[in-house]
Parts: sequence; structure tokens; C-alpha cells
Amino acid sequence: MSGILVVAEHRNRALANVSYQVLSKGRQLADQAQMELLAVVAGSDVDAYAKELAGWADRVLAVKSDRLEGLLAEPCQKIIAHLIRKIKPKITLMGHSSFAMDMAPSLSVELGIPLATDCIDIFWQNGDILVTRSIYNSKVNATYSFAQSETVLITGRVGEFSVEEGGRQGQIEEIEFDFEEESDYKKFEGYLEAEAGGVDITQAEVLVSVGRGIKDKKNLEMVEELARVLGGVVSCSRPVVDYGWLPSERQVGLSGKTVQPKLYLGLGISGAFQHVVGMKGASIIVAINKDAKAPIFSVANYGIVDDLLKVVPALVNKISELKGKTE
Amino acid sequence: MTLTDYKYGDVIHRCFRCGYCKFPINWMDVNNCPAYARFRMETYSCGGRLWLTRAWLEGEIEWSDHLADILYSCTACKNCEVKCPLSFNIDILNMMIAAKGEMVERGEVPSPVKEFLENIQRQGNPYGTSRAKRGEWMEGTGIEAYQGQEFLYYVGCVGSYDTRGQETARILGKVLQKAGVSFGVLGNDENCDGNEVKNLGEETLFEMLAEENVAQFQGLGVQKIVTLSPHSYNTMKNDYPGFNGEFEVSHYTQLLQGLIRDGGLDVSGGYNATVTYHDPCFLGRWNEEYNAPRAVLKSTPGVQLVEMARNKDGALCCGGGGGNFYIDLLGGSADSPARRRVREACETGANVLAVACPNCLTMLEDAVKAEGLEDKLAVKDIAEIVGEACGIK
Amino acid sequence: MDIIACIKRVPDTSEADFIKIDPAQRDIEKDRLAFKINNWDEYALEAAVQLKEKLGGTLTAITVGPEDWNEVLRRALAMGADNAIRIDRDVSADDAYTVAVILERVIQRLSYDLVLFGAQSEDFGSGQLGAMVAEMLGIPHATLVTVLEAEEGKVHTQRELEAGTLQSYTIELPALLTVHTGINQPRYISLRGIRSAMQKELQVMALDDPGLSPETLVPMVKLEKLELPPKGKEAELIAGAPEEAAERLAKILKDAGIF
Ligand SMILES: Cc1cc2nc3c(=O)[nH]c(=O)nc-3n(C[C@H](O)[C@H](O)[C@H](O)COP(=O)(O)OP(=O)(O)OC[C@H]3O[C@@H](n4cnc5c(N)ncnc54)[C@H](O)[C@@H]3O)c2cc1C
Ligand code: SF4
Ligand code: SF4
Repeated sequence: MSGILVVAEHRNRALANVSYQVLSKGRQLADQAQMELLAVVAGSDVDAYAKELAGWADRVLAVKSDRLEGLLAEPCQKIIAHLIRKIKPKITLMGHSSFAMDMAPSLSVELGIPLATDCIDIFWQNGDILVTRSIYNSKVNATYSFAQSETVLITGRVGEFSVEEGGRQGQIEEIEFDFEEESDYKKFEGYLEAEAGGVDITQAEVLVSVGRGIKDKKNLEMVEELARVLGGVVSCSRPVVDYGWLPSERQVGLSGKTVQPKLYLGLGISGAFQHVVGMKGASIIVAINKDAKAPIFSVANYGIVDDLLKVVPALVNKISELKGKTE
Repeated sequence: MTLTDYKYGDVIHRCFRCGYCKFPINWMDVNNCPAYARFRMETYSCGGRLWLTRAWLEGEIEWSDHLADILYSCTACKNCEVKCPLSFNIDILNMMIAAKGEMVERGEVPSPVKEFLENIQRQGNPYGTSRAKRGEWMEGTGIEAYQGQEFLYYVGCVGSYDTRGQETARILGKVLQKAGVSFGVLGNDENCDGNEVKNLGEETLFEMLAEENVAQFQGLGVQKIVTLSPHSYNTMKNDYPGFNGEFEVSHYTQLLQGLIRDGGLDVSGGYNATVTYHDPCFLGRWNEEYNAPRAVLKSTPGVQLVEMARNKDGALCCGGGGGNFYIDLLGGSADSPARRRVREACETGANVLAVACPNCLTMLEDAVKAEGLEDKLAVKDIAEIVGEACGIK
Repeated sequence: MDIIACIKRVPDTSEADFIKIDPAQRDIEKDRLAFKINNWDEYALEAAVQLKEKLGGTLTAITVGPEDWNEVLRRALAMGADNAIRIDRDVSADDAYTVAVILERVIQRLSYDLVLFGAQSEDFGSGQLGAMVAEMLGIPHATLVTVLEAEEGKVHTQRELEAGTLQSYTIELPALLTVHTGINQPRYISLRGIRSAMQKELQVMALDDPGLSPETLVPMVKLEKLELPPKGKEAELIAGAPEEAAERLAKILKDAGIF
């Protein structure tokens, strides 16, 4: 019997948030098609993860091996390829994480099956599975179908699917897996954690966040000034770190930090999803961007469509004025 | 490149660092090189750049981000050329531009310069905004597309895309309409004029823009051009002939001067203000047009014209030339040239600072805000002043 | 070290607020858009050129696309590539798998130590191509690489995970890496550079050169339709000149107790 197989990910002794998200989506798709939901988790010590996953899945496949010390793409590809061949799930689902970006494409080639990555929607239509992807800087949605195939591989966008209560008690099966001789053409050397920096943006109540629209590091001065009058600190999107204008500890987003300030003021940030996943939990989001169609406006509470270099100095003045009145 | 390949290799050493290049015409202080005024270090004066360039090309120093920033902070304002006592002064600015050119060819330019030039390669303007939006400034004005009218009204990038620049572009269009001038614009088909590109040292890109523009103008049968920006005026008047582009080019203040004088434009509505005028480098020092804008102001009833201490060929640059209105290597300080300039304007007692260039307009208006002088001093383009005097809102 | 860099051309949609979809819902209307080299590919090319400058060897840039994609190959040549190959094909209806099949066929006939891709494309962003080609070629790969150092026969790389964590690998050559932004600062390519690259030879291949035919290239993932995203929750826009807008925003923030 075919079902839906969710590949769960873990790091730093916890299941990844995105795994809960795709698990919830997987549960929904399985229920709609009256299929079984399976989850697979691989690692050196997976008991706790397996129990957790059993809250959603009908069956949890727990693959235990010392070879799986870190969650590395190569051994995992072997395991999952083996399981897909064996179980033939209709869909194999995983989060569109860095791990998935490394593994899913080669897995799809190894098995000769279709792959759709970074999907924002996954749905049944007349018994077929379809996906929607967000393309062209989030300005267009594209819906895709798959060529005839027993099984397909899908990765879901981080933060796109809401986590529903599981409330099940699935079975847990331990799986033995024989690795072939280890090859040493690709040697894992370890993890490097982000350095703890001087400023901790995750603790700030107010973040004034700048993106590529700031144009030059010289313009950071006015942004620092705005942060100062608001009693906050400056954070940024990835390009600002790439250009070396701010240190990486200030980066918000998927490969940076997740923040939940009271106010998130985004300046010249387009709102790519990799950025938005890191800041959408803010209580008030304000965006200043000269492109009225920038996707950031669909997560913001307030927006100003204008040149930030003009608005920011004005805003500094107005805030200072208002503060002057109360003090 | 080595010093021997460098076009000015045999003269660059002749700078003896007298430091005259940073004085204004009346020797009142040493702050007339805008970059020197901002940083107060010899390295940021013309003489400093020449010495650094020589040292770099001789291999005494390595290229660095800092060296690139120093060269690109030159706004090409031409003050040094006017002040340098040596006969080689006609080439000192070109020496700095040639050094920038070398950085361009090596691909080693400050990141905002890279962005500026790539945006022009791709979208024909430094902002990187779509070419398809270049003509948006004229929506609702009734301004016509160019099709054989007497004048081509060339707006330029700042007038086309900057919100404040757009306002002036529209008002000038309305003034020309009111005066019954026969003119048209290129809208989305207008391309960058290349003046800043040339001053940033991207010679080949400049040549391409000039060739394309000349071909386009000739194809449309353009003979007379009136420009909003002195930057466009400068390159079309002085550089385009080298690309077989002989046009009768005027800056709009020159056209307005004639129209008002000949009674073609009724400015009797007047403009009541004490006005001081800031000479844009590309109209002033580059083209020695000091009179037309002043004549326009003087013939506007109600305008009382006062001069700043530094004026005409001694005027202090707003800091926006050489691409600096975008790459902004001189901003962010009370010593930024634009902020110095608006303080100087205030000292005259004027309540309006008149400009004749959209770059100066944006630079100086920002400076007025940064200085908190909004209540004392308004920055107005001469087109806006004339617009009001002839009853255009 | 012989390096191959695979690059593509994309429309610049980052600041375009006028995107329209053609009536057949197959493509966006591109006539008002400007085009550029894919952002991630620019970093890949810079990484390749830097390796070549340091270690010697050759750099070959490859693209699969129609004739106007020569533009990105010219950039690559101007940046320092020795050879450029374009496989002539309209890829607008192709999935990543199809393009991977083509690239694999071309690359396997060349000699190389390292193959570089951008981590993903700006237009479709599926991030599949590099790792697919690696699997087809049977060589090791790492995606999302932000640190790359090479020595004889191997590369030391760090690839990016979530939340600022990096994963460090030593990989024996030949290998394939997909390059992430921030790995370097891509240099400016002057117009003179691009113009002189016009003189250099640019090899154009038909599909049957590497023994492929259109019929054999069937996409695994098929586009059904394009749509503009549904109007979701939209921000309350504060209109007016910068001063007015700033004033209203300042009031809103004050009322919300921010300051
Ligand atoms: C695996 C992976 C991980 C990533 N992780 C992250 C991450 O953690 N964090 C992150 O931020 N990104 C991340 N990214 C990158 C992400 O995809 C985007 O490229 C990035 O977020 C874009 O940053 P931006 O909004 O600053 O720049 P752009 O998308 O270039 O947007 C700039 C915006 O500024 C506006 N603008 C320009 N000039 C002005 C002006 N004068 N006034 C007002 N507005 C102006 C423009 O209209 C535009 O909307 C990741 C990408 C990948 C593939
Ligand atoms: S450039 Fe001319 S004025 Fe300036 S220091 Fe050199 S010689 Fe003196
Ligand atoms: S052109 Fe102007 S900014 Fe440049 S060195 Fe001369 S005086 Fe200074």
C-alpha cells in the first residue's frame, strides 16, 4: 500500500521546525487520500524523535546507526533511496532546508523520479498531486504537475505550512541499515556554529532592519540614528552581510537569526521568504520600499512606498520631535 | 598597467603638492575641494590623489578599498583645474579619471560604483529601476513624445526617476508648454547621457551611450536639445560632437533667459524671496555659464538676488558630481560639502537657495534637512521659481 | 586546475512592479524587462576566476539557452573564462532535470577537476541543477558553499546550514560545488572587457552534438499555469510626501507604545 513518507530532520537535539510543518501538511494530504502517513528519522540516537513523530504519523521508521552522527546528505540519501524503493510511497515529503537542497536533487536522479522543490502549496486534484511554487522574486505563482511516476519527491518551503496538533499514536519500527564500505572522497570535518557577536538582535525590542536598498554602507549612519531614537538596534538582510557592511550576527532570516521584536522596521528589503521566515513573528512590521509590489508589503502591517533615503531622515526628525514633547 | 602605460605617466609627477587646488577663487579658505572639505586630509585633495595614483602605478602602494574610495570621492567639480598654478592643470582632472579608469578595467571599484555602472549597463540609469518606468514622470502632463518638434527636451536620469527631480522635470515641461515652445521628450526611450559614467572612468560604456544617443537623436532628426540637467548639457555639448553628434544644445536656463527677454514667457506673477544661487559645476566651471541662471532670477519680479561668499568659478560643489549623488562617498557628516554649502547659503540671509541642476537639488535639500534649516531655507530649482512666477502650480 | 562554471541568464524582476502573465498562463511578458546574469552565478564565476588566478588551469563557462544568452557567456569571458559553450535550446518549458541531462552530456566529454554552479537561480529558485548534474556525473558535491579553498586534488569547503551554522567538508576532485552569495565580492566587468570578449570564440552546440534529441528530453515536472499571487493580507499604506508619511508613521509607532 502506498502512502506518504515524510523525512524528518534534526539538529542540536531537536526536530527541525520545518519537519513539524511538512509533517502537518503530510497528515492532511494522507487523510484526504485515505493513505497512511509514514515518517522516517535517521541518526545515532533517534528514540526521542521517533516518539515525537508518532504523534502525527501512522508509522515511524527509526533508522539507527553510528554512521549518522551528523545529519549528512550522503548516508541519508542511501537510506531514503532504499526506503522509497521498498515502500513506494506516493509522495516523499521534506522541508526545503539546506539538508534537502544537498540531498533531494541527487536522490531524485538516483531513483529517476520527479522532484519539485521549495513548494508553497501541495494539493490533490483528481487523484493527482500538484504543487505551487513562488517564482520571480515572489511576484508570480506557478502550478506544476508531475510526469507519470509511481512516486514523487517534494520539498516544502520553510515556514509555509502551519503546524497542526498531531494527537496520534503511531507505531514505531526500528530499521536496520547496512552501509557499504565508507568512501573517503568526501570527508565531513565538523560543524562550525555562528560566532557569538557583540550585539544580540534576538533580544532587541525594536529592530531597524536594512536590505540591499540601502545602496551603500555610508547610508547606515542614518539608519543607526533611527535605531537610536527608537531605542533599538540595526539588523539586516543577507546582501548587507555579503557586501561586508554589517557582521553576520546582524542577519535576519533562514541562514541568520529568527527574531520576534515588538517593532520590525524593514528598510529596502524586498521580503524574500528566506528573510521573512526570520521576522514574521514580530508584533508590528513596517516596511519602507520604493517598489509597491515588493512581497514584504504582504507581511507588513504598515508600509510606505518611497525612497528610504528620503523617509528615514524625516522619520528621525519626527520621532525626535514627538519624543521631545513627552519628555 | 604601469606608470609607463598610463596616459599621463610623463606629467603626473609634476604636481609638487603646493595644495592650491583646494582653495576657492578668493583664497578665503582651503575648503573648496569638496572631498578635502569633507575629510580634511591631503589625500582627498587633487594633489593627494595624483601622488597616490603615481605611487600605485609605480607599485609603491597596493590597490585597496581605501585607495578606491579616495579616488572615487572626487566629484569632478573642476575647482582644482581652475586653481592649480601649473600648466599641466588642464589634465589634472583627467589624470584622476584615468586612474579610476584603470580601476574599472581591473574590476576593482567601490561596491556602489559597481552597482551604479551595472545598473546603467542593464537599465540605462544608475538606480537600477526599470527602463520601462523612465517615462512615468510625465504622466498627466500632456507633454508630447518627440517627433520632429523644434526642441528635444532631454530630462536625464535624476529628472526621470528621483521624485524631487521628477517634480522639476514636470514643472519645466509646463513652463515650456506655457511659453509655446515646440518640444517633445523621449520617455521610456531616453537613455543615460553618460556624463557621470565618463567621470567614473568607464570610458567604453560612456562611448557606447554617446554613440547610441547620437544615433537615436539623428534618427529622429533632432537639431536642438534643451536639457534639465547641466550634466547632460555638458556632455552633449562638449563630448557628443566627437561622436559626430553636432546638436545645438542649451541648458534650460539659457532657453528661459531668451524667452523671458523676448517676451515669450510672462513671469509677471513674480516670486517674492531673497534668493541665493548655487552654481552647478557642470554649468559653471565646466561651461562658464554663470550669467543665464542669474539673468532669469533677476528678471523675475520679487526676486532679490544675493550672492554667497563663494560663487561662480569659486563656488563650492554640492558633492553630487562624479556619480556621488548616488555613490555618496562624501555624505554623512556636518563637513559634507552639501551641508557646508547650505550653511553658507543661510549666512547670506536668503530664504531660498536656487539651483539649476536636479543633482544639486536633491543633495542640497537633504542637507537642509540634516542641518535642521527647513524653516529658514527652501531649496528650489530655477524651473520651479519661474513656474510659480508664470502661474504654474 | 580545470574548472567548469555553469551559468544562466534571468530577467531582472527585483524592482519590477508591472509583471504580467501571458494569456496562455505559460510565461511572463518579458518585453519590458531587462536581463542579467543570475546573481548566484556571478559569485560562482568569481570563485572560479579566483581559483584560476591562483592555481592556473582553464575555465570553461557553459550555458543552455537561446542565442541572447550569449550575453552571460561574454561576461564570463570578460571575467577570465577561456572557453564558452552554449547549447542552443529554448529552456523556458524545461524542468531542472532536463537541463541537467543536457549539461551532464556536455560536461562528461570535457576534462575538468571542478564544476561550479550558482546555488540557485533568481527566477525559479528551485536549487536543483547542480546536485542533479553531480549525481549524473557520479562525482561528489556540496551545495550552498560559502567558503572554498583548493589545493592539489582536493577542495576544503564550508556549506551553509540554517541559523548561521556551517558544515565543513574536504572533498576530493573531481567534484561539483554550488556557490552561495557572500563567498566573495564579484568584480566589475567593464564594457571594454565585454567588447573584447566579443572577439573571443563562443562555441554553440546543437542538441545532437552531444547525442541528444528533443524527443528524448521529456520534463518530469510540467508547468500547468502561472498566476499572480492571490491578494493576501496587505500592509496599510501610508501615503504622502516623505515628511507627511514619516509624521504619520511616527504617530502610529508612538501610539503603539514603541517610544
Ligand atoms: C539558502 C538561502 C538562504 C538565505 N538566507 C537568507 C537569510 O537568512 N536572510 C536573508 O535576508 N536572506 C537570505 N537569503 C537571500 C534571499 O533569497 C534574498 O536574496 C535576500 O533576502 C534579499 O535581500 P534584500 O531584500 O535586502 O535585497 P533585494 O531583494 O535586492 O531587495 C532590495 C529591495 O530594496 C528596495 N529598494 C531599493 N532602493 C530603495 C530605496 N532607495 N528606498 C526604498 N527601497 C529601495 C527594492 O525595491 C527592493 O525591494 C537566502 C538565500 C538562500 C538561497
Ligand atoms: S594639483 Fe596643482 S594645485 Fe594641486 S597640489 Fe598639485 S600642483 Fe598644486
Ligand atoms: S575635481 Fe573637485 S573634488 Fe575632484 S579633486 Fe578637484 S576640486 Fe577636488
